[in-house]
Amino acid sequence: MLTAEQNDELTQVEAGTPMGEVLRRYWYPVAFTRELEEFPVKRVELLGEFFALWKSPSGRMGIVPEACPHRKASLAYGVVEADGIRCPYHGWVFDADGNCTEQPAERDNTQFQDRVKAQAGRVEELGGLIWAYVGPHSESQPAPELPRFDTYVMDGYRDIGWTDLPCNYVQIMENAVDPHHVEFLHGRYFEFVGKHEGFTAPASFGKEHMKIGFTAFEWGIIKRRVLKGASEENDDWKVGHPLVFPYNMRVGGGGIHQMQIRVPVNRTTTRFYLYTVHGPDGYEQVDQPQIPDYELPLIDSRGRHVTNYVEGQDFMAWVTQGPITDRTTEHLGRSDIGVAMLRKMFREQMEAVARGEDPLGVIREKHDRIDLPCEKDKFHAGGAQFALDFCDMGSTRYSPMLDTIKKIHISAADKVAAAKAG
Amino acid sequence: MTTDARFAADAEAHRRDAPRFCPRCATGLAMATEFWEADDRRFYCSCTGCGWTGEITTTGAVAAGHEPEH
Repeated sequence: MLTAEQNDELTQVEAGTPMGEVLRRYWYPVAFTRELEEFPVKRVELLGEFFALWKSPSGRMGIVPEACPHRKASLAYGVVEADGIRCPYHGWVFDADGNCTEQPAERDNTQFQDRVKAQAGRVEELGGLIWAYVGPHSESQPAPELPRFDTYVMDGYRDIGWTDLPCNYVQIMENAVDPHHVEFLHGRYFEFVGKHEGFTAPASFGKEHMKIGFTAFEWGIIKRRVLKGASEENDDWKVGHPLVFPYNMRVGGGGIHQMQIRVPVNRTTTRFYLYTVHGPDGYEQVDQPQIPDYELPLIDSRGRHVTNYVEGQDFMAWVTQGPITDRTTEHLGRSDIGVAMLRKMFREQMEAVARGEDPLGVIREKHDRIDLPCEKDKFHAGGAQFALDFCDMGSTRYSPMLDTIKKIHISAADKVAAAKAG
Repeated sequence: MTTDARFAADAEAHRRDAPRFCPRCATGLAMATEFWEADDRRFYCSCTGCGWTGEITTTGAVAAGHEPEH
Protein backbone atom coordinates (compact mmCIF):
# COMPACT_ATOMS: atom_id res chain seq x y z
CA MET A 1 0.00 0.00 0.00
CA LEU A 2 1.23 3.46 -0.92
CA THR A 3 -0.12 6.96 -0.67
CA ALA A 4 -1.79 8.44 -3.73
CA GLU A 5 1.15 10.82 -4.16
CA GLN A 6 3.66 7.97 -4.13
CA ASN A 7 1.59 5.96 -6.60
CA ASP A 8 1.38 8.99 -8.84
CA GLU A 9 5.11 9.59 -8.75
CA LEU A 10 5.94 5.92 -9.31
CA THR A 11 3.82 5.57 -12.42
CA GLN A 12 4.67 8.80 -14.25
CA VAL A 13 6.51 8.61 -17.56
CA GLU A 14 6.30 12.21 -18.78
CA ALA A 15 9.28 14.52 -19.22
CA GLY A 16 9.98 16.66 -16.19
CA THR A 17 8.61 14.14 -13.68
CA PRO A 18 11.11 12.29 -11.43
CA MET A 19 10.32 8.88 -12.93
CA GLY A 20 10.00 10.25 -16.45
CA GLU A 21 13.52 11.61 -16.13
CA VAL A 22 14.80 8.20 -14.97
CA LEU A 23 13.12 6.51 -17.94
CA ARG A 24 14.73 8.96 -20.35
CA ARG A 25 18.20 7.57 -19.48
CA TYR A 26 17.57 4.29 -21.32
CA TRP A 27 17.30 2.96 -24.87
CA TYR A 28 13.98 1.51 -26.08
CA PRO A 29 12.96 -0.60 -29.09
CA VAL A 30 10.71 1.55 -31.26
CA ALA A 31 10.40 -0.45 -34.50
CA PHE A 32 11.24 -3.73 -36.12
CA THR A 33 14.18 -3.54 -38.51
CA ARG A 34 11.94 -4.68 -41.35
CA GLU A 35 9.55 -1.78 -40.84
CA LEU A 36 11.99 0.91 -41.95
CA GLU A 37 13.06 -1.31 -44.84
CA GLU A 38 9.45 -1.45 -45.99
CA PHE A 39 8.84 2.27 -45.47
CA PRO A 40 11.56 4.62 -44.24
CA VAL A 41 9.68 6.80 -41.78
CA LYS A 42 7.51 5.87 -38.81
CA ARG A 43 5.50 7.76 -36.22
CA VAL A 44 6.59 6.57 -32.79
CA GLU A 45 5.06 7.19 -29.38
CA LEU A 46 7.44 6.74 -26.47
CA LEU A 47 7.21 7.94 -22.87
CA GLY A 48 4.15 10.00 -23.70
CA GLU A 49 5.76 11.91 -26.58
CA PHE A 50 5.50 11.52 -30.34
CA PHE A 51 8.52 11.26 -32.62
CA ALA A 52 9.40 10.77 -36.28
CA LEU A 53 11.80 7.88 -36.79
CA TRP A 54 13.53 7.65 -40.16
CA LYS A 55 16.19 5.79 -42.11
CA SER A 56 17.92 7.29 -45.12
CA PRO A 57 18.76 5.33 -48.29
CA SER A 58 22.39 5.23 -47.10
CA GLY A 59 21.32 3.58 -43.84
CA ARG A 60 21.60 6.62 -41.57
CA MET A 61 18.86 6.69 -38.93
CA GLY A 62 17.42 9.48 -36.85
CA ILE A 63 14.63 10.31 -34.42
CA VAL A 64 13.23 13.79 -33.81
CA PRO A 65 10.13 15.10 -32.04
CA GLU A 66 7.20 14.76 -34.41
CA ALA A 67 6.27 18.44 -34.61
CA CYS A 68 8.38 20.44 -37.06
CA PRO A 69 9.95 23.42 -35.24
CA HIS A 70 8.64 25.64 -38.06
CA ARG A 71 4.84 25.41 -37.83
CA LYS A 72 4.38 22.06 -36.07
CA ALA A 73 3.31 19.88 -39.00
CA SER A 74 4.16 16.22 -38.55
CA LEU A 75 7.65 15.12 -39.58
CA ALA A 76 6.33 11.55 -39.42
CA TYR A 77 4.86 12.37 -42.86
CA GLY A 78 8.22 13.75 -43.94
CA VAL A 79 10.26 12.98 -47.03
CA VAL A 80 13.28 10.85 -46.20
CA GLU A 81 16.30 12.12 -48.11
CA ALA A 82 20.00 11.35 -48.24
CA ASP A 83 20.97 13.09 -45.03
CA GLY A 84 17.80 13.70 -43.13
CA ILE A 85 14.08 14.17 -43.08
CA ARG A 86 12.32 16.95 -45.00
CA CYS A 87 9.12 18.42 -43.57
CA PRO A 88 6.26 17.75 -45.99
CA TYR A 89 4.77 21.22 -45.35
CA HIS A 90 7.51 23.74 -46.29
CA GLY A 91 10.54 21.55 -46.93
CA TRP A 92 12.75 22.25 -43.95
CA VAL A 93 15.34 19.48 -43.54
CA PHE A 94 16.68 18.05 -40.26
CA ASP A 95 19.69 15.74 -40.08
CA ALA A 96 20.34 12.89 -37.62
CA ASP A 97 21.77 15.35 -35.09
CA GLY A 98 18.64 17.50 -35.33
CA ASN A 99 20.39 20.31 -37.19
CA CYS A 100 18.19 22.23 -39.58
CA THR A 101 20.16 22.01 -42.83
CA GLU A 102 17.68 23.55 -45.25
CA GLN A 103 14.95 26.20 -45.14
CA PRO A 104 14.08 26.52 -48.82
CA ALA A 105 11.93 29.66 -48.58
CA GLU A 106 14.31 31.63 -46.31
CA ARG A 107 17.25 33.85 -47.26
CA ASP A 108 20.58 32.03 -47.12
CA ASN A 109 22.30 34.66 -45.03
CA THR A 110 20.06 34.32 -41.98
CA GLN A 111 21.17 32.50 -38.82
CA PHE A 112 17.63 31.33 -38.51
CA GLN A 113 18.63 27.70 -39.08
CA ASP A 114 20.72 27.66 -35.92
CA ARG A 115 17.74 28.71 -33.83
CA VAL A 116 15.53 25.80 -34.78
CA LYS A 117 17.50 22.68 -33.93
CA ALA A 118 15.21 19.68 -33.48
CA GLN A 119 16.40 17.95 -30.25
CA ALA A 120 17.35 14.71 -31.99
CA GLY A 121 17.70 11.44 -30.14
CA ARG A 122 20.00 8.57 -31.07
CA VAL A 123 19.08 5.48 -33.08
CA GLU A 124 20.75 2.09 -33.53
CA GLU A 125 19.78 -1.33 -34.87
CA LEU A 126 20.34 -4.47 -32.80
CA GLY A 127 18.89 -7.95 -33.07
CA GLY A 128 16.16 -7.13 -35.57
CA LEU A 129 14.93 -4.13 -33.60
CA ILE A 130 15.47 -0.39 -34.03
CA TRP A 131 16.37 1.20 -30.70
CA ALA A 132 16.07 4.85 -29.75
CA TYR A 133 17.46 7.01 -26.97
CA VAL A 134 15.50 10.25 -26.47
CA GLY A 135 17.06 11.44 -23.22
CA PRO A 136 19.57 14.18 -22.51
CA HIS A 137 22.90 14.12 -24.31
CA SER A 138 25.51 16.61 -25.40
CA GLU A 139 29.07 16.71 -26.69
CA SER A 140 30.42 16.61 -23.14
CA GLN A 141 27.94 13.96 -21.96
CA PRO A 142 27.00 11.78 -24.93
CA ALA A 143 24.14 9.29 -24.93
CA PRO A 144 24.91 6.05 -23.08
CA GLU A 145 25.73 2.88 -25.00
CA LEU A 146 22.92 0.63 -26.18
CA PRO A 147 23.26 -2.42 -23.89
CA ARG A 148 24.01 -5.51 -25.95
CA PHE A 149 22.20 -8.01 -23.72
CA ASP A 150 22.89 -11.68 -24.48
CA THR A 151 19.53 -12.44 -26.09
CA TYR A 152 20.05 -9.82 -28.81
CA VAL A 153 23.45 -11.12 -29.92
CA MET A 154 23.53 -14.87 -29.16
CA ASP A 155 23.26 -17.61 -31.78
CA GLY A 156 19.83 -19.12 -32.27
CA TYR A 157 16.55 -18.87 -34.11
CA ARG A 158 14.64 -15.70 -33.27
CA ASP A 159 11.08 -14.51 -33.25
CA ILE A 160 9.28 -11.58 -31.68
CA GLY A 161 5.70 -11.59 -30.40
CA TRP A 162 4.16 -8.33 -29.33
CA THR A 163 1.01 -6.64 -28.14
CA ASP A 164 -0.08 -3.24 -26.84
CA LEU A 165 -1.43 -3.39 -23.31
CA PRO A 166 -3.75 -0.70 -21.96
CA CYS A 167 -2.01 -0.31 -18.61
CA ASN A 168 0.94 1.34 -16.92
CA TYR A 169 4.27 -0.47 -17.24
CA VAL A 170 5.00 -0.48 -13.46
CA GLN A 171 2.33 -3.08 -12.70
CA ILE A 172 3.89 -5.26 -15.38
CA MET A 173 7.32 -4.82 -13.82
CA GLU A 174 5.92 -5.67 -10.39
CA ASN A 175 4.87 -9.01 -11.87
CA ALA A 176 8.55 -9.67 -12.63
CA VAL A 177 9.30 -9.80 -8.89
CA ASP A 178 6.27 -11.89 -8.02
CA PRO A 179 7.26 -15.58 -8.18
CA HIS A 180 4.08 -16.92 -6.57
CA HIS A 181 1.83 -15.84 -9.42
CA VAL A 182 3.26 -18.65 -11.58
CA GLU A 183 1.88 -21.32 -9.28
CA PHE A 184 -1.64 -19.91 -9.48
CA LEU A 185 -2.04 -17.90 -12.69
CA HIS A 186 -0.06 -20.35 -14.85
CA GLY A 187 -0.76 -23.39 -12.66
CA ARG A 188 -4.13 -23.61 -10.95
CA TYR A 189 -5.89 -21.14 -13.28
CA PHE A 190 -4.35 -22.71 -16.41
CA GLU A 191 -5.60 -26.12 -15.24
CA PHE A 192 -9.09 -24.64 -14.70
CA VAL A 193 -9.15 -23.13 -18.19
CA GLY A 194 -7.81 -26.38 -19.65
CA LYS A 195 -10.55 -28.44 -18.02
CA HIS A 196 -13.20 -26.24 -19.61
CA GLU A 197 -11.55 -25.93 -23.01
CA GLY A 198 -10.37 -29.54 -23.26
CA PHE A 199 -6.59 -29.39 -22.96
CA THR A 200 -4.04 -30.38 -20.35
CA ALA A 201 -2.08 -27.55 -18.80
CA PRO A 202 1.68 -28.13 -18.30
CA ALA A 203 2.27 -29.61 -14.85
CA SER A 204 5.56 -27.80 -14.23
CA PHE A 205 3.85 -24.41 -13.87
CA GLY A 206 1.72 -25.52 -10.95
CA LYS A 207 4.51 -26.64 -8.64
CA GLU A 208 4.27 -25.33 -5.10
CA HIS A 209 6.67 -22.61 -3.97
CA MET A 210 8.67 -23.50 -0.87
CA LYS A 211 10.88 -20.44 -0.74
CA ILE A 212 11.39 -17.19 -2.68
CA GLY A 213 14.24 -14.69 -2.62
CA PHE A 214 15.40 -11.50 -4.30
CA THR A 215 18.90 -10.13 -4.80
CA ALA A 216 19.66 -6.65 -6.05
CA PHE A 217 22.50 -6.66 -8.60
CA GLU A 218 24.08 -4.36 -11.16
CA TRP A 219 21.25 -4.72 -13.71
CA GLY A 220 18.22 -4.93 -11.43
CA ILE A 221 16.84 -7.69 -9.21
CA ILE A 222 17.41 -11.45 -9.44
CA LYS A 223 14.30 -13.45 -8.58
CA ARG A 224 14.78 -16.89 -7.02
CA ARG A 225 12.46 -19.71 -6.04
CA VAL A 226 12.62 -23.22 -4.59
CA LEU A 227 9.77 -25.37 -5.84
CA LYS A 228 8.42 -28.46 -4.14
CA GLY A 229 10.69 -31.41 -4.84
CA ALA A 230 13.67 -29.17 -5.57
CA SER A 231 16.36 -27.56 -3.44
CA GLU A 232 18.61 -24.53 -3.35
CA GLU A 233 20.92 -26.50 -5.63
CA ASN A 234 18.42 -26.26 -8.50
CA ASP A 235 18.79 -23.53 -11.12
CA ASP A 236 15.56 -21.79 -10.05
CA TRP A 237 17.28 -20.78 -6.80
CA LYS A 238 21.00 -21.03 -7.52
CA VAL A 239 20.79 -18.95 -10.69
CA GLY A 240 17.26 -17.48 -10.83
CA HIS A 241 16.45 -14.89 -13.45
CA PRO A 242 16.54 -11.12 -13.42
CA LEU A 243 14.28 -8.15 -13.69
CA VAL A 244 16.46 -5.90 -15.83
CA PHE A 245 15.81 -2.38 -14.61
CA PRO A 246 13.70 -0.50 -15.47
CA TYR A 247 11.57 -2.25 -18.11
CA ASN A 248 12.80 -5.77 -18.97
CA MET A 249 12.82 -9.27 -17.63
CA ARG A 250 15.24 -11.98 -18.79
CA VAL A 251 13.74 -15.43 -18.64
CA GLY A 252 14.20 -18.80 -20.27
CA GLY A 253 14.90 -22.48 -19.87
CA GLY A 254 15.10 -25.61 -21.97
CA GLY A 255 17.19 -23.93 -24.67
CA ILE A 256 14.83 -20.97 -24.93
CA HIS A 257 16.23 -17.54 -24.15
CA GLN A 258 13.85 -14.67 -23.81
CA MET A 259 13.79 -11.00 -22.99
CA GLN A 260 10.39 -9.70 -22.00
CA ILE A 261 10.40 -6.04 -22.95
CA ARG A 262 7.81 -3.66 -21.54
CA VAL A 263 8.11 -0.28 -23.25
CA PRO A 264 6.24 2.62 -21.60
CA VAL A 265 4.56 4.06 -24.70
CA ASN A 266 2.61 6.46 -22.52
CA ARG A 267 1.38 6.38 -18.97
CA THR A 268 -1.41 3.89 -19.65
CA THR A 269 -0.10 2.01 -22.68
CA THR A 270 2.74 -0.48 -22.66
CA ARG A 271 4.17 -2.11 -25.77
CA PHE A 272 5.01 -5.66 -24.73
CA TYR A 273 7.60 -7.60 -26.76
CA LEU A 274 8.57 -11.22 -26.24
CA TYR A 275 11.97 -11.40 -27.84
CA THR A 276 12.77 -15.10 -28.07
CA VAL A 277 15.88 -16.97 -29.15
CA HIS A 278 15.62 -20.72 -29.62
CA GLY A 279 19.12 -22.08 -29.12
CA PRO A 280 19.05 -25.47 -27.38
CA ASP A 281 22.16 -27.59 -26.88
CA GLY A 282 22.71 -29.32 -30.21
CA TYR A 283 21.23 -26.41 -32.19
CA GLU A 284 22.29 -26.33 -35.82
CA GLN A 285 22.22 -22.96 -37.54
CA VAL A 286 19.01 -22.29 -39.48
CA ASP A 287 19.06 -19.43 -41.99
CA GLN A 288 16.85 -16.54 -41.01
CA PRO A 289 16.89 -13.65 -43.48
CA GLN A 290 14.27 -11.75 -41.49
CA ILE A 291 13.14 -12.08 -37.88
CA PRO A 292 9.39 -12.71 -37.81
CA ASP A 293 7.21 -10.48 -35.69
CA TYR A 294 3.60 -11.24 -34.87
CA GLU A 295 0.85 -9.76 -32.74
CA LEU A 296 -0.28 -11.75 -29.72
CA PRO A 297 -4.02 -11.98 -29.06
CA LEU A 298 -5.29 -10.03 -26.09
CA ILE A 299 -9.11 -10.00 -26.34
CA ASP A 300 -11.41 -12.49 -28.09
CA SER A 301 -14.53 -11.79 -30.19
CA ARG A 302 -16.70 -11.79 -27.04
CA GLY A 303 -14.58 -9.09 -25.45
CA ARG A 304 -12.92 -11.45 -22.97
CA HIS A 305 -9.21 -11.86 -22.43
CA VAL A 306 -7.63 -14.79 -24.24
CA THR A 307 -6.31 -16.82 -21.30
CA ASN A 308 -5.54 -20.23 -22.73
CA TYR A 309 -1.83 -19.46 -23.12
CA VAL A 310 0.78 -18.35 -20.59
CA GLU A 311 1.35 -14.75 -21.65
CA GLY A 312 -2.36 -14.18 -22.28
CA GLN A 313 -2.90 -15.02 -18.61
CA ASP A 314 -0.30 -12.43 -17.62
CA PHE A 315 -1.92 -9.85 -19.91
CA MET A 316 -5.29 -10.51 -18.25
CA ALA A 317 -3.86 -10.02 -14.76
CA TRP A 318 -1.94 -6.84 -15.64
CA VAL A 319 -4.73 -5.19 -17.63
CA THR A 320 -7.51 -6.04 -15.18
CA GLN A 321 -5.53 -4.31 -12.42
CA GLY A 322 -6.65 -1.12 -14.18
CA PRO A 323 -4.92 1.46 -16.40
CA ILE A 324 -2.99 2.60 -13.32
CA THR A 325 -3.59 0.21 -10.48
CA ASP A 326 -4.85 1.70 -7.21
CA ARG A 327 -1.98 1.08 -4.81
CA THR A 328 -3.70 3.13 -2.09
CA THR A 329 -6.13 0.26 -1.44
CA GLU A 330 -4.06 -2.80 -2.35
CA HIS A 331 -3.26 -5.37 0.34
CA LEU A 332 0.24 -6.74 0.03
CA GLY A 333 1.49 -9.68 2.05
CA ARG A 334 4.95 -10.94 2.99
CA SER A 335 5.02 -12.83 -0.32
CA ASP A 336 4.96 -9.45 -2.10
CA ILE A 337 8.23 -8.31 -0.58
CA GLY A 338 9.85 -8.32 -4.04
CA VAL A 339 7.31 -5.72 -5.13
CA ALA A 340 8.29 -3.50 -2.19
CA MET A 341 11.95 -3.97 -3.09
CA LEU A 342 11.32 -2.91 -6.69
CA ARG A 343 9.47 0.23 -5.59
CA LYS A 344 12.45 1.08 -3.39
CA MET A 345 14.73 0.64 -6.39
CA PHE A 346 12.57 2.93 -8.54
CA ARG A 347 12.64 5.56 -5.81
CA GLU A 348 16.42 5.30 -5.36
CA GLN A 349 16.95 5.80 -9.07
CA MET A 350 14.76 8.93 -9.06
CA GLU A 351 17.09 10.32 -6.40
CA ALA A 352 20.19 9.30 -8.36
CA VAL A 353 19.00 11.12 -11.47
CA ALA A 354 18.03 14.19 -9.41
CA ARG A 355 21.64 14.25 -8.14
CA GLY A 356 22.89 14.20 -11.74
CA GLU A 357 24.04 10.57 -11.64
CA ASP A 358 23.35 7.77 -14.09
CA PRO A 359 20.65 5.41 -12.82
CA LEU A 360 21.07 1.65 -12.49
CA GLY A 361 21.97 -0.19 -15.66
CA VAL A 362 23.05 2.79 -17.76
CA ILE A 363 26.26 1.71 -19.46
CA ARG A 364 28.80 4.04 -20.99
CA GLU A 365 31.59 1.55 -21.77
CA LYS A 366 31.76 -0.01 -25.23
CA HIS A 367 31.09 -3.73 -25.02
CA ASP A 368 30.31 -6.75 -27.19
CA ARG A 369 27.84 -8.63 -25.02
CA ILE A 370 26.27 -8.48 -21.58
CA ASP A 371 25.46 -11.91 -20.17
CA LEU A 372 22.59 -11.97 -17.70
CA PRO A 373 22.08 -14.72 -15.12
CA CYS A 374 19.21 -17.00 -16.13
CA GLU A 375 18.31 -20.53 -15.10
CA LYS A 376 18.58 -23.23 -17.77
CA ASP A 377 16.67 -26.01 -16.03
CA LYS A 378 13.44 -24.06 -15.58
CA PHE A 379 11.08 -25.46 -12.94
CA HIS A 380 13.37 -28.56 -13.07
CA ALA A 381 11.02 -29.70 -15.84
CA GLY A 382 13.59 -31.10 -18.28
CA GLY A 383 14.97 -29.21 -21.29
CA ALA A 384 13.16 -30.38 -24.41
CA GLN A 385 9.86 -31.04 -22.64
CA PHE A 386 9.86 -27.53 -21.20
CA ALA A 387 10.61 -26.14 -24.67
CA LEU A 388 7.76 -28.03 -26.32
CA ASP A 389 5.32 -27.07 -23.56
CA PHE A 390 6.50 -23.51 -24.03
CA CYS A 391 5.82 -23.69 -27.76
CA ASP A 392 2.35 -25.20 -27.41
CA MET A 393 1.15 -23.43 -24.27
CA GLY A 394 2.91 -20.09 -24.60
CA SER A 395 2.88 -17.26 -27.10
CA THR A 396 5.08 -19.17 -29.57
CA ARG A 397 1.93 -21.03 -30.68
CA TYR A 398 1.09 -17.85 -32.61
CA SER A 399 4.47 -17.63 -34.32
CA PRO A 400 4.32 -17.98 -38.10
CA MET A 401 7.45 -20.15 -37.67
CA LEU A 402 6.03 -22.51 -35.01
CA ASP A 403 6.73 -25.70 -36.97
CA THR A 404 10.31 -24.69 -37.68
CA ILE A 405 10.86 -23.83 -34.02
CA LYS A 406 9.50 -27.16 -32.76
CA LYS A 407 11.66 -29.03 -35.25
CA ILE A 408 14.69 -27.12 -33.97
CA HIS A 409 14.05 -28.30 -30.40
CA ILE A 410 13.23 -31.89 -31.37
CA SER A 411 16.23 -32.31 -33.66
CA ALA A 412 18.55 -30.71 -31.11
CA ALA A 413 17.27 -33.07 -28.39
CA ASP A 414 17.70 -36.05 -30.73
CA LYS A 415 21.23 -34.95 -31.53
CA VAL A 416 22.15 -34.62 -27.87
CA ALA A 417 20.56 -38.01 -27.07
CA ALA A 418 22.43 -39.65 -29.94
CA ALA A 419 25.70 -38.14 -28.76
CA LYS A 420 25.08 -39.45 -25.23
CA ALA A 421 24.18 -42.93 -26.52
CA GLY A 422 27.17 -43.03 -28.85
CA MET B 1 -6.94 6.05 -11.21
CA THR B 2 -10.18 4.78 -9.68
CA THR B 3 -10.08 4.38 -5.90
CA ASP B 4 -11.60 1.26 -4.39
CA ALA B 5 -14.10 2.63 -1.86
CA ARG B 6 -14.31 -0.69 0.02
CA PHE B 7 -10.88 -0.08 1.51
CA ALA B 8 -10.94 3.65 2.09
CA ALA B 9 -10.33 3.05 5.82
CA ASP B 10 -7.16 1.07 5.11
CA ALA B 11 -5.93 3.81 2.78
CA GLU B 12 -6.60 6.39 5.49
CA ALA B 13 -4.81 4.28 8.11
CA HIS B 14 -1.85 4.02 5.80
CA ARG B 15 -1.75 7.75 5.25
CA ARG B 16 -1.98 8.27 9.03
CA ASP B 17 0.58 5.68 10.13
CA ALA B 18 3.20 5.34 7.39
CA PRO B 19 6.59 6.30 8.86
CA ARG B 20 7.67 9.71 7.68
CA PHE B 21 11.27 9.95 8.83
CA CYS B 22 14.32 7.71 8.68
CA PRO B 23 15.10 6.09 12.10
CA ARG B 24 18.82 6.53 11.43
CA CYS B 25 19.24 10.01 9.92
CA ALA B 26 15.75 11.56 10.31
CA THR B 27 15.55 12.50 6.65
CA GLY B 28 12.03 12.34 5.22
CA LEU B 29 11.27 8.83 3.95
CA ALA B 30 10.41 8.85 0.27
CA MET B 31 8.82 5.41 0.19
CA ALA B 32 7.13 3.19 2.76
CA THR B 33 5.30 0.23 1.27
CA GLU B 34 2.79 -1.27 3.70
CA PHE B 35 2.12 -4.99 3.80
CA TRP B 36 0.38 -7.37 6.16
CA GLU B 37 1.70 -10.42 8.01
CA ALA B 38 -1.01 -12.10 10.05
CA ASP B 39 -2.25 -9.29 12.36
CA ASP B 40 0.82 -7.15 11.84
CA ARG B 41 0.88 -4.10 9.66
CA ARG B 42 4.42 -3.70 8.41
CA PHE B 43 6.04 -0.84 6.53
CA TYR B 44 8.98 -1.66 4.28
CA CYS B 45 10.96 1.56 4.35
CA SER B 46 14.06 2.84 2.70
CA CYS B 47 15.88 6.12 3.14
CA THR B 48 17.29 7.73 0.03
CA GLY B 49 19.37 9.99 2.29
CA CYS B 50 21.51 7.47 4.18
CA GLY B 51 20.49 4.17 2.56
CA TRP B 52 18.87 2.66 5.67
CA THR B 53 16.37 -0.03 4.78
CA GLY B 54 14.13 -1.87 7.19
CA GLU B 55 10.66 -2.78 8.34
CA ILE B 56 8.68 -0.81 10.89
CA THR B 57 5.58 -2.36 12.42
CA THR B 58 2.73 -1.07 14.56
CA THR B 59 2.31 -2.92 17.87
CA GLY B 60 -0.60 -1.28 19.70
CA ALA B 61 -0.46 -0.76 23.46
CA VAL B 62 0.36 -4.34 24.42
CA ALA B 63 4.01 -5.38 24.44
CA ALA B 64 3.62 -9.08 23.69
CA GLY B 65 6.29 -11.59 24.58
CA HIS B 66 6.50 -15.19 23.58
CA GLU B 67 7.21 -18.43 25.34
CA PRO B 68 9.29 -21.04 23.59
CA GLU B 69 8.18 -24.61 24.30
CA HIS B 70 9.52 -25.72 27.68
